[in-house]
Amino acid sequence: MQNLSALERAAAMAAQPEALAADLRRESGQPVIGYLCCFAPPEIISAAGAIPHRITGRPGEPTAEADAYMEPYGCTYVRNVFTQGLKGRLDFMDGLVVSHSCDMIQRLYGIWTYYHPFSYSRLFNVPHQVTPWSERFFKRELDFFKESLEQFTGQKVTDEKLRREIELANSNRALIRQLYRHRLVNPPLLRGSEMLSLLLAGGWLPPKDFNRLLKEALEEVEKRAPEGPARPRILVWGSLLDNIAFYKMIEEAGGDVVADDTCIGFRLFEKDIAVHEDLNEGLKDHYFVNFQCPRTDRGPGTARFEYLLQRAREYNADAFVGYIISFCDPHKFDYPDLRDYLKEADYPMLLIDDNYSFAPAGTIQTRLQAFVEMLKA
Amino acid sequence: MSSSEMKRAKRHLETTRKMKDMLPRFFMRMFERRFSNEPLAWCMVGVPPELLKAFDLLWEWPENFGTLCASRLVAPDFIKTAEGDGYSPELCTYVTNTMGYCKRWIESGEPPEESPMPGGMGNPTMLLGSGFLCEPRYKWFQAIATRFVDVPVYSSDPLAPPWDVDPHDPRIAAHYKALIREDLHGQVEFLEHHTGKKLDTDLLRSIMALSHEALAYWRDTLYLRKAVPCPMGSTDYFSAIIPQMYMVGEEEAVDFYREMYLEVKDRVERKVGIVEEEKYRLIWFGLPPWFNLGFFNYLESFGAVFALESTYNVGDWFEVDLEDPLEAIVERAWVRAVKMHDYGTEAMPELCNPAVFGGFVGSDMLDEAVEDYHLDGAVMHLTRSCRAVSFGEVHTRNRLAKIGVPSLIFESDMADPRLWSDAQIKTRVHAFMETLAGRSKPGS
Repeated sequence: MQNLSALERAAAMAAQPEALAADLRRESGQPVIGYLCCFAPPEIISAAGAIPHRITGRPGEPTAEADAYMEPYGCTYVRNVFTQGLKGRLDFMDGLVVSHSCDMIQRLYGIWTYYHPFSYSRLFNVPHQVTPWSERFFKRELDFFKESLEQFTGQKVTDEKLRREIELANSNRALIRQLYRHRLVNPPLLRGSEMLSLLLAGGWLPPKDFNRLLKEALEEVEKRAPEGPARPRILVWGSLLDNIAFYKMIEEAGGDVVADDTCIGFRLFEKDIAVHEDLNEGLKDHYFVNFQCPRTDRGPGTARFEYLLQRAREYNADAFVGYIISFCDPHKFDYPDLRDYLKEADYPMLLIDDNYSFAPAGTIQTRLQAFVEMLKA
Repeated sequence: MSSSEMKRAKRHLETTRKMKDMLPRFFMRMFERRFSNEPLAWCMVGVPPELLKAFDLLWEWPENFGTLCASRLVAPDFIKTAEGDGYSPELCTYVTNTMGYCKRWIESGEPPEESPMPGGMGNPTMLLGSGFLCEPRYKWFQAIATRFVDVPVYSSDPLAPPWDVDPHDPRIAAHYKALIREDLHGQVEFLEHHTGKKLDTDLLRSIMALSHEALAYWRDTLYLRKAVPCPMGSTDYFSAIIPQMYMVGEEEAVDFYREMYLEVKDRVERKVGIVEEEKYRLIWFGLPPWFNLGFFNYLESFGAVFALESTYNVGDWFEVDLEDPLEAIVERAWVRAVKMHDYGTEAMPELCNPAVFGGFVGSDMLDEAVEDYHLDGAVMHLTRSCRAVSFGEVHTRNRLAKIGVPSLIFESDMADPRLWSDAQIKTRVHAFMETLAGRSKPGS
């Protein structure tokens, strides 16, 4: 793999993230803690001496094994991830951390830990409203999270260690933002699928290794020159995308994904974690107050979408593509309001409602092509 | 689905049959008050109704309105209107029912004529949501206030510890109770601001006393269903939840639950069941198909009765000190959550949420229920549009199977009869009844 470019290496990691994690575990002697969703800071897991591993699914794989434990009417991503566990593909995990992001993820925690107890498991509870008392709750929850990890790993999460992890992760965020800036040009120097490959690798690699990968990728991208004619510029909004297949489809349809609003994307990396004397303050703002998942209630009205319009303008997007996984209530509730809001701002939007399979590929591809053609016209 | 397959419920109790007069009288009183332009709140379950009553608010429960629309078979029209507006058919049909209702109401300037209550739901001056149990309870009101009515919204946000966190740890208790308490105080502040009234704690205390008295009769009535033959079935159970939602803190509600308790007690003493020959005693999981409550009577035709339901069950009762009534609401929520933990709610941590009315996934609780209510089997309604309640049924089926109790899981919806497949469901009921007939009683 060493002969490959950084971007090629990142793409190759996606084929076997579990093998990568197992290797890291063996080489480091540290426990691996798999996590879902974005509210429980992986920086705390690292500071406790464990390796955080972002759990990803395998889109399109059958989930029949899950039927014995959970209902068919449920988030297809949740069913898919649980199936990975049932198949033994996540056996390298010493622990499991699930943030109470949405209803389905919360319920997954109970069922998963009942049938497959881990040496360490934690449901990180998260309020739905942003209020002074919910912020206080979140900060206390951070302390309980730290404590539970300390008990598991036997290592104290000191402020010094945590600050170091936050600063390292922030330096990665800065590099990611630099890479995003290379998508401001037209055509972009970095494809959306390449960017997502890198971000996915960041969920699996130790922060230091990720830092090196990002720096190399940045060097490679900076050597590039714009190629070919400009294509319609797309901002992708919606549910979790932990696979590059969808961005590839957009690219093959003749569009460029230049920006995003998904949880392995701008939602996590747009800003640094502020480092205050009270470290929990910055973590709370980053992972709760400012984290733009629609599961957090930001009150009525369309002001809650303003950041999206700003981003579309900044990245000179021509249109939005929405991607929503079946039974994803928070995004499905927001869709009509967002659609109307964007229409008023004169941005076209195509919604792809998918059962986490990107299938039937032909149908989705045709719809994307038709949309891109319309944008070109 | 054809509407001829949908049957209204036949109730067995005199008391619940009397609701036919009592509720319209109450609704009419509330309806008349609307003309005085008093504040009116649309509320989610999870908002303490005693608080609403203490502010002398008029209120509506859109979820409950959804059940009424479903039972009158008018929900599909509202749901289709919402779907045409871009709301996914996967979303809670209580929500899409309301969204369609609102769209038609706003467009025509009048409550849609199919509305099952006089004048439909009153025009809200505020929305009181709750994050209790599921996401739709706050996303719903966010959407209504964005699209249809520009009124203030307060969504309460109770959380409870997951199953593997010890609520007896004083630091954990303090952590969660602080959230519940501060959130409740935020709600009071909101209500004071938008009604222009100060909370009268003496009044709240007296309302809570009446509410608790009614709930105590309700709980005692439910315990009486342990008797063989079972004196009360699901058609009465699902009807009898309504007075506590709408008429909380009213003497009339206390009278209703007292009367129901006495009637059921009398039936136990006289060994009067709800079917001629009680063959199978069942537990119901999930939301009922409100458009077809006659389904319970259909099951009764096999000699099958439901002695217990997992939803809308107030659960064990706890005396709480009413001296400080707001603190009593916090304490009530917390002790219920702790109780659920003590049973071990392994699959659905949200069941530990305050004011929860379910809770039978807990290991000991399931075992106890099977023994105490002499249960032979379980019927579970897998509601496509309400995963919050139905997710976990497969796990519960697995747990019941371990103690030799068979389950039937069938798929449909609570408000949308388009998802009801009469022939398919009845075929499965037949097969399940044969399974029950072919097995001996657990422990016999």
